[in-house]
Amino acid sequence: MRLFDAELLHGREILPGQWLQGYRAPWLATGAAPGQFVHVRTPDWSGLVLRRPFSLNTIDRITGEVTIHFRVTGKGTDLLARMHPGDSVGMLGPLGRGFEIDPRSRHLLLIAGGLGMAGVRCLVDEAIATGRQVVVVFGAATAAEVYPSSLLPDEVEYVVATDDGSLGHHGRVTDLVTGYEAWADQAFACGPEPMLAALARLARGRDGRLGVARLGRKGGVRAAPLGSAQARRASWLQVSMEQTMGCAVGACLGCVVMGVEGPQRVCREGPVFAPDEIAWPESA
Amino acid sequence: MRRKRSVVTDRDTSALPRTPRARSKTPRPASAAVPRPASTPVTDPTPAVEVDLSVDLAPSRPGALVLRNPLLVASGTFGYGVEYGEVVDVDRLGAICCKGTTLKPRVGNPPPRVTETPAGMLNSIGLQNPGVEAVLEKYADQWVRWQVPVIVNVAGESVEDYVAVARKLDGQPGVAGIELNISCPNVGKGGLQFALDAGAAGEVTRAVRRATDLPLLVKLSPSAADVRAIATAIEDAGADAICAVNTLSGMAIDRHARKPFLGNTYGGLSGPALKPVALRVVYEVAQVVDIPIVAIGGVGSLEDVLDFLMAGACAVQVGTALFADPVLPVRLIDELDEWCATRGIASPREIVGAALPTRRDRPSVKGVEYRP
Ligand SMILES: Cc1cc2nc3c(=O)[nH]c(=O)nc-3n(C[C@H](O)[C@H](O)[C@H](O)COP(=O)(O)O)c2cc1C
Ligand code: FES
Repeated sequence: MRLFDAELLHGREILPGQWLQGYRAPWLATGAAPGQFVHVRTPDWSGLVLRRPFSLNTIDRITGEVTIHFRVTGKGTDLLARMHPGDSVGMLGPLGRGFEIDPRSRHLLLIAGGLGMAGVRCLVDEAIATGRQVVVVFGAATAAEVYPSSLLPDEVEYVVATDDGSLGHHGRVTDLVTGYEAWADQAFACGPEPMLAALARLARGRDGRLGVARLGRKGGVRAAPLGSAQARRASWLQVSMEQTMGCAVGACLGCVVMGVEGPQRVCREGPVFAPDEIAWPESA
Repeated sequence: MRRKRSVVTDRDTSALPRTPRARSKTPRPASAAVPRPASTPVTDPTPAVEVDLSVDLAPSRPGALVLRNPLLVASGTFGYGVEYGEVVDVDRLGAICCKGTTLKPRVGNPPPRVTETPAGMLNSIGLQNPGVEAVLEKYADQWVRWQVPVIVNVAGESVEDYVAVARKLDGQPGVAGIELNISCPNVGKGGLQFALDAGAAGEVTRAVRRATDLPLLVKLSPSAADVRAIATAIEDAGADAICAVNTLSGMAIDRHARKPFLGNTYGGLSGPALKPVALRVVYEVAQVVDIPIVAIGGVGSLEDVLDFLMAGACAVQVGTALFADPVLPVRLIDELDEWCATRGIASPREIVGAALPTRRDRPSVKGVEYRP
């Protein structure tokens, strides 16, 4: 974790109201892992008192460029979107705990709802670089909001669902996931909370549907403690959660989500969690 | 109750720069009761090169809480001092006020808990903390190793709660003082109500005072109808210093969902929006008490620090501004030092209370007019 300035290299609107920006941040690029995030400070004159957290969308260790992908939802993101190449912003990062990829996993399933693409996008490059196969399942309200396939490497299998059926599967991403649950060694998801809750339920039933027997649990082998890297790696599904933040370093307790063992800080224990760490709302 | 002769903090204060002047001879400019220092030649006629930034937050307990500089970090915004890691050099800070600590663990309020507002933010953490015993177990060792004093912010729902926490902190290595949070707007019971009533504020302060010899700071709410009455009661009850202010209760709406944004509906307003309110409270309190005042509320620049000093505070806490700029307090220390040095001011103490009405002015009674 460090404070540094990052220079905007390029930025464009990839979807209505959604921006993709590349920053020169060599230190971040060498130290960050997929799933981690940065806390970005808008210019001093903006009068905004809080930084804005963004997932690292892509990390290029060679050129030292990182990208972020965000929707303009208010003053802070509006100011960021209006920046020009050459302008700098203050960043604090890398922050949080990233995804845990099991070295033995060959097939990775990435599940993204809308802007959740920014949360899992980084894994695509990581997986390809390490010779793994990747399927990205993406859900949006309508075709106009579907993440452009041109922004994904050719090696990726890209499957789309829209709520209105205007592109791809007519329905929810969760409908598509069952088709890949046997194929995927691990699944990583980011998106709206109801989607993550539905996926968590789906993941709980997976072992049963596939007839997988977990051996060695009852005997001497003790399961890794909840929230540990081992436990997350052993979980078929990992989810990246969002919450409004203050400090982003674990000091203010502003960013919690409710976990089964009490409040969990998205900025410190997260943003990536195993679904059984989270106390999902009953209705979801 | 057994009274100890001396304060046991296990902190080596010998390394701290001590105030060169004898405490008793230094008039308290923040006070209306004591003559203002205009007649006493505190300033060296030649411009001072060395600026003495130190402040004593517990003058009646010599050496117990002498800070190397008047920049503190505010409770709830800096965790337990460890979270910012290498980003902030904590040993440069005047002191750290840790997150509100209660007798029993608290899970806090449902999320979301923070949101930005015009020139400020709302928080409704709800005093999430693991309880005083776990806090000491986890962090006290680290606090002992630091030069910077750590002041434990204490919250409770009853006088007994406050006293019980104070007893557990008393004599613990690494604990330099107690900041009584009687003004948290984010908990249902207790909390804030102690800060709204002079009788209750005096009672809880007196009870904690009897339970410990640790330096005792009491944190005011800006919501009190007359902060002067509260502050006077706190001073009479034996507090060493007054901190002003905590957050103001507010709320935000999630227009999309058509419901309150915060999981707890209400949250405390902090940041620049709070500054004029905090300034007013400090200015009013400084006219009625003799004990030191620590200002809190929207400090984000050297100008803010100077404003609060001139209004009668002898130190300030930085809270919300840390979130945008974690190294701000350290920078403000340097800026304050330079500001004094270039003006030949030997210590920021010289400007404390400079904006207060002089004895010849009529006493300020204006405050009463704008109150509901
Ligand atoms: C996220 C957050 C948590 C806080 N928690 C506490 C607390 O536990 N105890 C307390 O006395 N004050 C707490 N406060 C209030 C601050 O210490 C301070 O009084 C207030 O924020 C005003 O200062 P500022 O404008 O510099 O932030 C909290 C403030 C924030 C923003
Ligand atoms: S944002 Fe402050 S604890 Fe996570």
